[in-house]
Amino acid sequence: MTLESSAASPSPAEPVVAVHGLTKIFKDFWGRPKALAVDDVDFEVRPGEVFGLLGPNGSGKSTTVKMLLGLLYPTRGHIEVFGKSPRHVATKARIGYLPEESYLYRYLNSHETLDFFGNLFHLASDQRRERAEQLLEMVGLTQTRTRPVGEFSKGMQRRIGLAQALINDPELVILDEPTAGLDPIGCREVKDLILTLARRGKTVILSSHLLADVEDVCDRVVIYYGGKVQALGTLKELLATPDAVRITMPPLSRETMQKVLGAIRQDVAEDRVRIDTPTQNLESYFLDVVARAKRDAAETSGALSGGRVAAYLQGQADARPATQKVLERLTVPAAASSPAANPEPAAAPGPAVDQARLASLARPNEPAPAVPPAAASATHAPAEAAPPSAAELAQANEKLSSLMKKPRS
Amino acid sequence: MQALLAIAGLTWKAVLRFRLFWVMAGLLLGSVIALPLLIKDDGTARGFIQIMLTYTLSVIGTLLGLSTLWLACGTMARDIEECQMQMVVVKPIARWQIWLGKWLGILMVNACLLALAGGSVYGLLLWRARQLPAAQQEILRNEVLVARGSVHETPPDIEGDVTRQLERVPNFQALSIEQQEEARRQKREQVKAVYQVVPPNHMRKWTIDLGLRRHLLRDRPLSIRVKFYAAETNVSGTYLGLWQVGTSTEMKARSNPQGLAANTFHEIGLPANIWDENGRFEILFENRNNIALIFPLDPDLEVLYREGGFGLNYFRGLAILFCWLTLLAALGLAAASLLSFPVAAFCSISLLVVALSSGTLASVVQEGGLGGANHETGAISTTWIDVLILPLFKAILNVVQLVEGFSPIDSLSTGRSIPWGQLGKAFAQVVLLLGGLLAGAGIIFFTRRELATAQGTQ
Repeated sequence: MTLESSAASPSPAEPVVAVHGLTKIFKDFWGRPKALAVDDVDFEVRPGEVFGLLGPNGSGKSTTVKMLLGLLYPTRGHIEVFGKSPRHVATKARIGYLPEESYLYRYLNSHETLDFFGNLFHLASDQRRERAEQLLEMVGLTQTRTRPVGEFSKGMQRRIGLAQALINDPELVILDEPTAGLDPIGCREVKDLILTLARRGKTVILSSHLLADVEDVCDRVVIYYGGKVQALGTLKELLATPDAVRITMPPLSRETMQKVLGAIRQDVAEDRVRIDTPTQNLESYFLDVVARAKRDAAETSGALSGGRVAAYLQGQADARPATQKVLERLTVPAAASSPAANPEPAAAPGPAVDQARLASLARPNEPAPAVPPAAASATHAPAEAAPPSAAELAQANEKLSSLMKKPRS
Repeated sequence: MQALLAIAGLTWKAVLRFRLFWVMAGLLLGSVIALPLLIKDDGTARGFIQIMLTYTLSVIGTLLGLSTLWLACGTMARDIEECQMQMVVVKPIARWQIWLGKWLGILMVNACLLALAGGSVYGLLLWRARQLPAAQQEILRNEVLVARGSVHETPPDIEGDVTRQLERVPNFQALSIEQQEEARRQKREQVKAVYQVVPPNHMRKWTIDLGLRRHLLRDRPLSIRVKFYAAETNVSGTYLGLWQVGTSTEMKARSNPQGLAANTFHEIGLPANIWDENGRFEILFENRNNIALIFPLDPDLEVLYREGGFGLNYFRGLAILFCWLTLLAALGLAAASLLSFPVAAFCSISLLVVALSSGTLASVVQEGGLGGANHETGAISTTWIDVLILPLFKAILNVVQLVEGFSPIDSLSTGRSIPWGQLGKAFAQVVLLLGGLLAGAGIIFFTRRELATAQGTQ
């Protein structure tokens, strides 16, 4: 028997998570206030978005996550997850959770771990077996399935922790420091997986103090400090520099470059113009090196690079051909597929030129959109509210397909 | 149910992977095999088997009881402290199901270990019995490896006798309350002495009523089980007595005068069909010594008869032991639902020790305080500590008596029957009532508890 969640999926306007006036005060044995961990926090997470909880250590991110999961109880304020209390049992069937450390049973092996958590979701035996196989392949642990989890390295434990968080094909995935302890390949795979989940309409809450992780995958972020929300909004809103423009192009001849610079200097002072050669980031470079090493069939005794996203997480639990799925995606309602229209994260390979941005720049006397971070509202409509174009959806599918085709090590 | 069974299965895997199961199995089997080699008996086959049963079952109960408490505290408290519980409670399983799953898992482990150890004892008993001469085997089959029912004389109304006799004492009502209590105590001892003491060359009579059992016991032998004390010890340590049995109108059997040791139980065979048409018969003992003998009212003389085989009786005895283990598992889990592992283990083991020292608690309650009564004046000095402690001790005793009322080991070693009714009563009182109360408390603690802290681990 499979447990079906009793609550219906929220409508696009209905937030998956709603937090109002959330406050958590830790108390000592005698009930005296000890620490104010979260102070009057408000935010909402909408369906299909990747929402980042960002802040330094001890800022209240994990406490917030634990209250969302019903592990801690709020001192004041109100939380709703899928319109219910965080402690509502049936609602938990729709949630996947990866804690900040791998709290796994050390004496179980990888397969038993996934089977155990699958049982808690009332999955049937064959479904548990099938999903466990796919997840182990996805996280690159197929060859260690009979080793006790207690013998795993921290990174391998994170991988199996991530796999258990996805065993129920959750609608809401809460990831607390998901890349902690992972090697760069694992980090990239986790981020790709988050993007894949988002494209399938899953809602992801990512808590991290690693700015690059959040920047790579999140649509909106809330920034904590001292238990309070310091900023909230889309990355575009928070990170845009409205008084500067960057143009990236292939190298120009010296003459052409002089002409371009000459034209620019007519409007802008010379000390405000910067010209450099773009460099790829270290992560991209590292991944290139490893990819070359893989081609030379280097062996490893640890976790293998996975990358093949579990079929059921891609929505391929049925055996329909991929072309049919693409067609299906193109015809789904805009709200369901809206995450596909999200702007590409900065580190992800995207189009050479943002055409919309170019068009806006080309319009005379029209300033670029600027929203001060502090003024961003919790209920501000995200940039992805516009329906996605067919080209954007096709691009999302292409990205997904590339993930699926990733060779196994 | 699937999730609950998964939690139970997890406890099983933990016990196996951490080798607790194998260590416990080794200890239990070692005890079963080693104890018969170490213990001393009275030299008879019956004595050896009785002692073997008593010691091995006691050791099995103690080992399993301690391991159950430890496992129950560990499996819950460690899961909470090491945060694995966080991974479980965020899944669609209610906390009461997690609690019950843990309880079920421990019970499954206990059932296996108890079956293993109990089965070994049973096999060893039968094997040792087969090595004995036929006559000894016959004795064992009739007296130990059997399930025997027992009939007692209707207990005398001692309090009624005391009241009636005191009413005839002049000016009794004029005494102070303390003096009345002391007079009542002394009168009670006098009345009990009348029933218990058999002076030299006097007789003591017991009237036994078999009731409807007489139809089942036709043509079957009976036996008397009795114990007495001597007012003074003599050189030989044995005391002459003459036993007669029969109806009120006719003595049907009479023993030769025989010397019996004091302070020990004796079993004396009776001929079949000695009762009248109503199932009544009388047992007479004639004291042929120069000193008084005392037949206590508790335990009183009992007439034993065969009720069933040993195997099923043994199973019922183990089932009562299992009920106790179920209660201990609930105690450990309830403590661990609220407290950290070492504190929970300490508290639950302390509670167990308090329960086992119920004799001390009972004497404090009986004497009316920790200081007891002044033996000269009979006055009881009550302090403020007594005011606090006495109700607590009474409450503890009331609870402990719900559990202690069952003594399967004693019954099995004396070949007495453990009826299904007794097993049902043990299940109702120990598992459903006390275990249920502890489970309810544990589930409430566990449900209300925050299972995470701001830090990673607790």
